[in-house]
Amino acid sequence: MSDNKEAKKAPKPDITFFHPDLLIVPENGDPPYLQGYRCKSCGNLDFPKPTLCWNCWGEEFEIVPLSRTGVLYSVTDIFIGQAGMKTPYVFGYIDLPENLRVFAQMEGEPGSFKCDDKVELTIGPIRTNRDGLPITSYKFRKIAV
Amino acid sequence: MKLMRDVYIAGVGETKFGKHSVDYDVLGRAAALEAMRNSNINRPDVVQSAYVGNGMNGIVTGQTVFKDLGMCGRLPIINVESACSAGGMAVYSAIKDVATGVTDISLGVGCENHSLHMQSGTAFAPSMSDIETMHAAVMTGKYAMRANRYMHETGTTIEDLAAITVKNRRHATNNPNAWFKGAITIEEVVNSRMVAYPLTLQQCCGIADGAGAVVVCTKEMAAKLGVQKPVKVAGAVVQSGPYHNRPRDITGDDITETCAEQLYEESGIGPEDVNIVELHDAFTIAELLYYECLGLCKKGDGLKYLRDGDSTYGGKCVVSPRGGMLSYGHPIGASGAAQIAACVKQLRGECQGFQVDPIPRVAMTHVTGGGLSGTEHAACTMHMLVSAW
Repeated sequence: MSDNKEAKKAPKPDITFFHPDLLIVPENGDPPYLQGYRCKSCGNLDFPKPTLCWNCWGEEFEIVPLSRTGVLYSVTDIFIGQAGMKTPYVFGYIDLPENLRVFAQMEGEPGSFKCDDKVELTIGPIRTNRDGLPITSYKFRKIAV
Repeated sequence: MKLMRDVYIAGVGETKFGKHSVDYDVLGRAAALEAMRNSNINRPDVVQSAYVGNGMNGIVTGQTVFKDLGMCGRLPIINVESACSAGGMAVYSAIKDVATGVTDISLGVGCENHSLHMQSGTAFAPSMSDIETMHAAVMTGKYAMRANRYMHETGTTIEDLAAITVKNRRHATNNPNAWFKGAITIEEVVNSRMVAYPLTLQQCCGIADGAGAVVVCTKEMAAKLGVQKPVKVAGAVVQSGPYHNRPRDITGDDITETCAEQLYEESGIGPEDVNIVELHDAFTIAELLYYECLGLCKKGDGLKYLRDGDSTYGGKCVVSPRGGMLSYGHPIGASGAAQIAACVKQLRGECQGFQVDPIPRVAMTHVTGGGLSGTEHAACTMHMLVSAW
């Protein structure tokens, strides 16, 4: 009985991966990619996954792998960040060829990015979770010239 | 909104802005009492509804503000939250009650205490349920990205951005309610601590505490109260931010542009007729962009507008005559109401030491609110105010 109670009290472990519906990391070592959601009734493509298609309220989606490369529309180096975040860190808006804009952290040194840089998807830690473990998510880095 | 009957501001109140050791309710109460006394209201049974804007301080904030003024039990008190737009939205809601005939006199309050509730050395972030927040977004950074893109496209420099702080602090020099004020050099602004490149500490609004309050009523009620200088509400607009995950031009601001267009149309007053503006200068870049978004100048001419002195005393339209958020700091639930209070004082010629000359006849206020992925801002609230005597 008391064991059961203790099991109930123990908090569920926090997530270490963000987010299986959005980011696919193939087990065979192929490069990771983001999943877009194309509305089956109107064709509207969105990322992240919407509650329903905000264009036509369609509820069925075709999952589409999104381009792994894009253009860094804008970027900033953060020196005073969210509570608990180690600084500095870098984030930006990445425009994908599918006419989608993604907000993401950048992998690379502060001061090394500028608007219109060509960037590619990678994965890495974006923050630590409640248990002190890193959470993995999509990030972008410069494409080596 | 379409104003179904004329609405006037009878009186306003505001506290000093800065760090306060008393909580939001004490600040809100002080501003509300000042606004009521400024409207010649000397008893608890006059105001017929009250709206209280607050961002972060908890629940039943409005009832807590009014609890021992003898007003609770006599009127509905409704609490309003939309991050930085909350105070403006509270006043909007009070105006709506009077415009629709629900009441003849109502009160809008904005109040906030951050310093008692927020961890120092951290930056504001939207809710953790937001996908951008999960990826460590902070509001300073979102504005910094606007700045970097604007600089990339126009060749604007950090020194140019710093000139906004220099201007607004100069405006605030003799304003008793402003927090940071007086002379500061471009170099001091640029060389202050980096927060989110290119925004340095002195380009960011302070995390402050304060409150503002506005009493609105019918023309008949203003006359009955003996209000000498009623200010007419020529327009009031609230908008929610359009949502999409497509590329958008962040050197503009879709929600501000839509909101301003609606305000100009509904009030019949164009940007060329506006004498003073208090806008959402939470960061230097914001004021620069909003010159363009509000139509004070053409798209791309923001920097020229600043350099030509068009946005300061003696210019075409004095922007941030009270010193703006860059001088007041920005208690998020309070600012929208405090902007309106400050504009009413300018229209009434009560700003000794920082009075715009000639005394302005038309004032406009603008506050956006909230970071939300897929939008530029979650909310925007604007008001157009005109002397009516």
